[in-house]
Amino acid sequence: MPKTEETKQAACGCGAYPLSRRNLFGAALALAAAPLLRYDPAQAASVDPSEVAPGIFVHQGRYEVQSPDNRGDIANASFVVGSDGVAVIDTSGSAKMGAELREAIRAVTDKPIKYVINTHMHPDHVLGNAAFSQDEPEFVGHYKLARALGTRKESYLAANEQMLGPEAFEGSEIILPTRLIKEPTTLDLGDRELLLEPQATAHTDNDLIVTDTKTDTLFLGDLLFSVHVPTIDGSIKGWLALLDEIGKRNAARVVPGHGPKTMELPQALVPEQRYLKAIADDVRRQIAEGKTLSEATKTAGFSEKDAWKLFGQYHVRNVTAAFAELEWD
Amino acid sequence: MCNGLKGLTRSFAVVVLAAGVAIASTPPLQAEENMWPTLKAEAFGDRPIQEEDGMVVLETPQKVEDAALVPLTVRVPPHVKGKLKSLSLFIDNNPDPKVATLTYGPAAGTGGERSFSTRVRVDNFSHARAVLELEDGSLHMATKFLAAAGGCAAMQAKDPEADVAGMGKTIVRTFTPALKSSPIWSGQVMVKHPNHNGMQLDINTAKFIPALYVKEMTVTRDGELVFKLDGTFSISTNPNFRFTFGKGEKNDLDVVIVDTDGTEFTGQTQASGS
Repeated sequence: MPKTEETKQAACGCGAYPLSRRNLFGAALALAAAPLLRYDPAQAASVDPSEVAPGIFVHQGRYEVQSPDNRGDIANASFVVGSDGVAVIDTSGSAKMGAELREAIRAVTDKPIKYVINTHMHPDHVLGNAAFSQDEPEFVGHYKLARALGTRKESYLAANEQMLGPEAFEGSEIILPTRLIKEPTTLDLGDRELLLEPQATAHTDNDLIVTDTKTDTLFLGDLLFSVHVPTIDGSIKGWLALLDEIGKRNAARVVPGHGPKTMELPQALVPEQRYLKAIADDVRRQIAEGKTLSEATKTAGFSEKDAWKLFGQYHVRNVTAAFAELEWD
Repeated sequence: MCNGLKGLTRSFAVVVLAAGVAIASTPPLQAEENMWPTLKAEAFGDRPIQEEDGMVVLETPQKVEDAALVPLTVRVPPHVKGKLKSLSLFIDNNPDPKVATLTYGPAAGTGGERSFSTRVRVDNFSHARAVLELEDGSLHMATKFLAAAGGCAAMQAKDPEADVAGMGKTIVRTFTPALKSSPIWSGQVMVKHPNHNGMQLDINTAKFIPALYVKEMTVTRDGELVFKLDGTFSISTNPNFRFTFGKGEKNDLDVVIVDTDGTEFTGQTQASGS
């Protein structure tokens, strides 16, 4: 397990980065098990993925916005180990988090990291890519991912440097995909294959669904939010339509972009469908009544207020996006 | 990129962008500089401007949630009786601080609250200003501060293909007031147009997508001018305008829009049943 600035500082008890709640349990165990204060910071590594199915490992991000304290650890990041190599699916929100993820992979296997797959463009899923350049993997994404990242590179980096602070941000960069997925494509990991399916505009215009066919595990990226309020950066209509399709699929488990490590279909989708539909219904009605965008942002979808974390941060933006889309119907 | 542009005049910005010059490394041009004295002098010379005197009210969101789509509403309260001459909107720290200028015509209406709403892009923390010119030539200004967090990120289209699809589609509506005899009616124009700001990089060609935005919009009611608007790329993608006009005979609105390519788009309300 990797040693980090955070855990080192926490271990000496004087850190600018206090222990997180999630680390606290591990730290308490380590302290209880160790004589005196011979606390092993490795026990409290912030990337601590679980094997949710044979060869499938998921690290759960926090329900927070980027901060120096969480170092961009706000989205789920996963990896799949095959007999020939490893595929990483999303790399968390900073080069430092990516490096910890890489250490966690190395603690499990020394097989080559062949693929780094990004489920979509958002920084909390891609900024850890930089930590994997040394492995010279194929960086894989939806065929619109390159354009999406290319046009947002400067602003993503500037915004994340500001939110994370210089220390947590250090080393983070935008790495453009080297392999673009336009049609359903399989990647071979030896004894298992990953199916990559590019989607029409939904959460973003570059959402990719990854399926490990061996264990029937679906990585939905931010097509699925749980607990953390969904964020609309594509098309609310496209997203609702795609969720209907995903709901018809059978899978042993799905891995959300934000939420617990695994969930089950179709019930995993229900809260998110309810949220998006509440916005769409309210906004459509208000448009029909001749209401303005600013009027809609004060009421639409507020029935969902207590159902989600980070509602205050993202909800009004979601209503704004929905209004600007639905007013053209 | 956008920071480097701050404070440049539009013409210079367009030249720089057109040349495809890498400006990412340009140091920010005095981000804290107060642009307003310069803007004011350019637009109004040394004419006096009454500030916050209640003749014009500017409404902005308490918190900017999507910097690409910030609703602005200007109200001229009913106690302001005379005709309006012009209305200018500014966002000081935008690459082009001049958002829009409306020059009112005979069908702009009197006898009630007049208003104008649109949605704008906000590049950075900035003041937004509405300057109203009354018939007597007096100028009145309302100012609000916008704390925009999205910056250039939000300037990028969510779905570039969807933005271009159906480009030019123009919807014009009137909203019949509860009291049909009301002297002030309201209308809406929406036009499907990317309103490219010239700052988006086309990654396939490594060149900036040229600026292409709605430059002029003329709104007439029953053939008489309500207003002519001169716009810039500070107006959001798919420009959207709400406005008031004076009640006429038929209350048919006709709209002619011209973008920077010279392409013309027209729209009109359906044959009036009201």
